[in-house]
Parts: sequence; structure tokens; C-alpha cells
Amino acid sequence: MIKISWKDRLFTGTITVLLILMAFVALIPLISEISISFSSKAASDRNIVNLWPVEFTLESWKYMLTKGNIWRAFGLTVLSTLIGTFLALLITSLMAYPLSKKNFPAAKYVMLYVVFTMIFKAPMVPYFLTLKGIGLYNNFWVLVFPHILTAYNLIIMRSFFKQFPDEVEEAAQIDGCGKFRMLFQIVLPSSKAVLATLGLFYAVPMWNQYQHPMMFIQDVKLYPLQMKIRQIINGGGDLQAIAAVRHVNYTEATLSAAAVVIAIVPILIVYPWLQKFFAKGAMLGSVKG
Amino acid sequence: MKKKAITALLLAVMLTGTLAGCGNNSQEQKQEETGQTQEEGAQAEAGTESEDGKGTGDVVDIEMWTTNTGYLPVEKDSVTYNFYKDLLGVGITQPYVEWNGGQTYYEQLNLRIAAGEMPDVVQLVNGIETDLILEGAVMDLTDLLPEYAPHLWETVPEETWNVMRSYDPTGEGRIYMTPCMNDYTRHAGMIRQDWLDAVNMEMPTTQEEFVEVLRAFKTQDPNGNGQADEIPTGGRAEARWMDHLFAMYGIAMWEGYPQWDLYDGELTYSAVTPNMRDALQFISDLYAEGLLDVETLMNDKAAWDGKVNSDQVGVFFQWAEQSYMYAANIKNAVGVEADWSVLPAISAEGYEAFITKKPTVGRQFVVKKTDDMEKVKACLKALDAYGDPDLQDTLYMGPEGMHCTRDESGNLIKLPEDKTIQEVQIIKPIDCMSNLESTIHTLELTSTPEDAWAIDKAIVNAQEAQNYGKRIAGDGIPSSIYDNYDDIENRILYVECASKIISGEWPIEKFDEFVEKWYATGGTEVTAAAREWYQSTQK
Repeated sequence: MIKISWKDRLFTGTITVLLILMAFVALIPLISEISISFSSKAASDRNIVNLWPVEFTLESWKYMLTKGNIWRAFGLTVLSTLIGTFLALLITSLMAYPLSKKNFPAAKYVMLYVVFTMIFKAPMVPYFLTLKGIGLYNNFWVLVFPHILTAYNLIIMRSFFKQFPDEVEEAAQIDGCGKFRMLFQIVLPSSKAVLATLGLFYAVPMWNQYQHPMMFIQDVKLYPLQMKIRQIINGGGDLQAIAAVRHVNYTEATLSAAAVVIAIVPILIVYPWLQKFFAKGAMLGSVKG
Repeated sequence: MKKKAITALLLAVMLTGTLAGCGNNSQEQKQEETGQTQEEGAQAEAGTESEDGKGTGDVVDIEMWTTNTGYLPVEKDSVTYNFYKDLLGVGITQPYVEWNGGQTYYEQLNLRIAAGEMPDVVQLVNGIETDLILEGAVMDLTDLLPEYAPHLWETVPEETWNVMRSYDPTGEGRIYMTPCMNDYTRHAGMIRQDWLDAVNMEMPTTQEEFVEVLRAFKTQDPNGNGQADEIPTGGRAEARWMDHLFAMYGIAMWEGYPQWDLYDGELTYSAVTPNMRDALQFISDLYAEGLLDVETLMNDKAAWDGKVNSDQVGVFFQWAEQSYMYAANIKNAVGVEADWSVLPAISAEGYEAFITKKPTVGRQFVVKKTDDMEKVKACLKALDAYGDPDLQDTLYMGPEGMHCTRDESGNLIKLPEDKTIQEVQIIKPIDCMSNLESTIHTLELTSTPEDAWAIDKAIVNAQEAQNYGKRIAGDGIPSSIYDNYDDIENRILYVECASKIISGEWPIEKFDEFVEKWYATGGTEVTAAAREWYQSTQK
């Protein structure tokens, strides 16, 4: 048995304390937002809310959850993220697998083609016109299709497949295993780490997408969550006009705070489940190029 | 063995298919919802549904883009669509386009124009009109306005139409756009009269008295809550919304944007005048003494309004007509009936104070070029509504049941905003075709017994603000004078200089460097262009 010296203990202890402190610091903004979302209009106006709600009220939450038609947008975003991530992983593995094979001579050229799209992005207007031309304007699928294959993720998966032991595949081949079966029953089941990692890499931007649907979705009924939230809390900025006085107990700040929580909590919940794969997977792609 | 692989693939395909089915569901749901709107529309006016895009009978549909700060879009056969159809005989629709300070609107508009789907009537932003006119994408309205928009043509004075002519980039003096006009002094320094009473002081009339009042506000606890939380005065980031302080030095300033006015008889950018130097020195002194909100240079609208609304601010700069909103909010927050009154324009020694008045706010709408005269007529009919005095009240009130309701005696009363159920009011003359009379009238329409105390005071304030306004020489100056000099248009140097001098980071001597640099980096050219434009309006 290895003896742990007091120096090591001190070191581990200090690191632990530091990390706990840093974790707390990272939590402060979220706690503060939660507090504001439960505070009254007057408290928020006076800017006196810190880490605990002042003049506790549920008004902002009531407004956000009942009046904003937010659930439809929430559903659309959940659906598009689920479908999108599934399709993304399917398509990415279908493409990455052959590209990882040494006996596929065209792989080099296809990779060049892939890397090209990483460096040269399509300009906005032609991109808009192309997607519009294939019917993806004001269409639910614009939340999915444009995001199901990204060059960066493809390269990670390809690198992962490259280090998959040839012997295993050879053995399977000798037993009469075909190419697709090899991928779906041999390779992918042993690639959970990379699947979880890339799943997260695909899912988070899909969940958060805002700029992209802003270009392509004008129909309010097809708004994904982030756009819907933005619409609800969208103040006019400097714009003002004579309007009837509103006697309500929320402000733009409290509504924004509630919106922030709604927008990030679901994805926060997913993280711990994937974490055990994630920590492993994020490193995996980088081991062999 | 292969069978299994094929089964797996088939499963994947089926799953995709099922999910696609879900997508179709959302489409169906969408149709259902549209159906509901149609029903509501039908209730508003029975039997006006139509299948084609042209509307029923003579009604022509147009798509009109205006500012929408989060209200629902106006779809065909919706409540608001039918409201305009009945009132104007034009079917008006508007998709939801996020405004976002004009930025997102601008991008979306560009995309739509690039896709060859320019809306029929477009509210202008960011100088987009120059290209549109040069490319022949918008109608020349010169001959059409008198015939098809007679009310608008009559309401807008000849001099304003001439300003519109001066915006023609081809130099031929044709009218391509309709103006936005607010023909009255809208802004004022606002002071808490009840705080003045609390500290036993009179309304200040000289700069010394004004500073004394600020000191009293800071030290004598006028809000009476026992805390030294009073902010005598302040403003917002980029030295904005504190024009009442700049005004003391005769500076033409519009909500923090320096303007063009005559200094020494020549049209000059107010930020580079000696007046500005002295004003910054004064404001910097206030800041150093703690009489200006310490967060002035960081406040955004929400933060600054929040301070005003929580009974902490003594003097601020706003639209005089908006004072009721702040008073009502203060009452809501702390139960005090705040008495916001107009602060006179106070002259610093050697200067003549005024509040900037710019009746010609700028250009407002263009109409898409088309050969379909019926479409053009419909567009102009919609624009004509801006100039028709008989329609103003109805347009302001909006559809009954959505934006207004009837009280017991049958009078229409305005409902508070609720963006989750209200569709956007597309045609709002109060926004860009207003004067003192119409503003007061609108305030009266908005009044409820509950808020009357605050609104009555706002009416008094709006009237009193007129005493201090001066129409500046640079009223209506086109943004094209800044072509190729974006940094000057965006006030990059000015904001840095003003912020750093106010906060004390820079000594006042740095101001002279700023002026030199401003002229050297394009200020000379911009000034020449501005003066040329001014000469052309003097003919």
C-alpha cells in the first residue's frame, strides 16, 4: 500500500477547497438570476437583489409559464434537439467510419472537402437563398437539417474510429460480419464515450440556436425556445410611446431572469448524466490524429 | 445475419419517418391555430373570408413592415387585419420581425430583399433607402402622393416635403419617402417638485441655484426613507439622456446624440464646439462632487429607469409626456405620488440654454416598386391614414377587445400592453406624425380614473416643455453626410472623450485633442457635406 504523505494531503486539500470556491463563484450568477426572478418589481427596480429574493413573488414565473405560450416553443426545441442529435450522430458516424479506413482511397479527398467547409463558411445571403430554395424557410426542419453534420465533430469521430483496433474488426469479418453490421453492432456499441461527447456537442448548440432560426423562421408558431424567450422579454430598447399604465409586479429584468433559468436548466440537467462519458470522450479524439 | 443489419437500418428509417410525422403534426397544429384566428376574424366582421391572396372584393392585401417590440404578428384574417380592412379598406399584414434596436430588423429586411421578396411598405432603418432608390426598387411618390394620399400630402408642410426631396440620392429632388414628424418640443429636464418642497427650495433658475438644489437633494433625504440613497441627477451610458445638463451651454443634443446647429453663424457639430468643452467640465465637476449618479456611464435604460422608478432620482431627462409613466411606477413601488415637473432651461453664464427641437425626425416609409397600380394605391391608402385627423383616435385605440375596451358609459378606454395576446398596431400616427395637440389628446385618451393624477400632470408638463424648445438648424439633416465616415456617425471619438472627461479619467485639456482628431479623421469632410446640405435647404 502506498503511503500518502502530509504534503500530498495538503496539496489535495488545497485543491479541493479552491475548486469548491471556484464552483461557488461559477454558481453565483445563476443564483442571482434565480433570486431576481422571484423578486418584486420594486426590488428589481431598486437593484437590491443579490443572492436571495427580495419581496418574494411568483408573478414573473406565472407570466412566463402561463401567458407566453412558451410550452409550444419548449416542445419544438426539445423535439428538434432530440431528432437533430439522433440524426447528427447517425450521419456523422456513417460518414466518419469509412473515412477512418486506410483502404478507402478517396478518404483523403473527401476529408479535404470536409476541411474546406471548416475554413470557408458560406456567405449569409447565398446560404439563405439556398436553404429557402429547398423549402427550409418557415419550416420546422430548418431547426434540424442544417446542423446534423459539422466538420469539427466529424473529424473527432473519425479520429476515434481510427484508433479502434483493427483486430476486432478482422475477427468480426472472419465470422462473416458485413460493413453496416460492423459499424452498428461492433464499433458503435464500443464508442459510447465519443457518441455521448458528440451528442452533447451537437445538442447544446441545437438547444441554444437563436441566430440561425432568426434568419429562417418568421412564423411565431414555429419559434424555438430561445427566440420565444427573446420575444417575450424583448423590450423596445429606447422606444417608448404613450401607453396605458400597467400595474404589474414584474419587470423586464425579472422576466429575463426567469427566462434565463427556463432556458438553461434543461440542458444543465442533461450534463451530469453524460459527464462520465464526456470527461473521457473529450480527450479521446485528440489521442491520435 | 445481414437481416439484422437491414432491420436496424429499417428501424432507423422508420424512426425518422415517425419523427417527421411529429413535424407534420406541428404543421397541422399550426393550421388549427390559424383556423382559430380566422374564426375570431370572422366574428369581428362576418363573411369576409377569401381563399386567394388578394382579399375579398376590392380589398387589396399589402405587407407592411414597422417597428414591433414583441407584440404578435398580424396575419391574414386576424383581428388586426380585419380592423384595418374595415377602417381603411386595405388588408395589412406584418410578420413578426424582431426590432432589436433596428439591427435585427435591418438584417431581416436585407435578407427578404435579397430573396426578391421586399415587403410592399417598409419602415426605413440604417440608411437602407439610398441603395433601394438607386436600384429602382422603390416607387417615386412625387406625383402619386397628392392623388392617392391627399391627407398626408396636406398634413405634412411643404418645407418637410422639401427635406424629403433633399434626400433623393439621384439629386433630382423626387420624393421617395414619407417623413416622420414630431412637431413639438418633446423633451425636458424633469425635476421632483415634491422633493423641492421637502427641502424648502424654489424651482432653480440659475446654474448656482440648480447645483444648490442637487446638493440639497443629496444631503437632506427628500424621499424621507431615512437612507442617503438619493441620486440628485444622472443619465445613461455614453453620456446619453442627460441633455438637460448639456442644454445649459446651448448645445444641440438629442437624447445624448450631438446635433448640428449654428455656432458662430455656421452649421457645426455641437460636440466639437467650445460650448461642449465647458459643458463637460461642468458635468465632470458634478460627477466629482457625487451629484451625478456614480453609475451614469454604465446605466442602460432598464437600470436608469429602475432608479427613477424607485424614488431615488431628483432630476432626469425624458420626454415630458412620459412623466406619468414614471410617476405611476414610483407610486406602484413605494406608494408616493411623485410630482414630476418641468425643469426650466437654465443658462450657464455666457450661454443661452435651450432644449433641442427636431420636428423632422427623418424618413419613415418607402413603397416597393410595382406595376400593379391597385397595390400602389393600397399602400398609399395605408400611408394616407397617417395624415387623416379623423382616423387618429381609432388608430391609436386599435381593435376593440384587444387594445381597448368600453367602460360602463360606453367610452373606449385603452388597455395596458400585453404582448402575449395583443397583435402589433401597424399604423400608429402618434409615433411619427404628432404635434402637441395630438399628444395631449392621446394622453387624455389613455387616462383612467386611477392614473388621472399622473396623466394630468404629464399634460401640463408637455405644454410647459414648449417654452424651452428651439428648432435647430440641423433639423432633418440626412445621414448621407456621414457616408464613409461611420466612426463619426457612431460618435466613437465623442463618446470616449465625453465619458473619460466626465469620469475624471481625462483632464479637460484632452478635449482640444479630441476636436483636432475629430476633424482629422473625417470631421472636416462631414462638416463640409453638412454645410452643403444646409445651404441647399436655404435656397
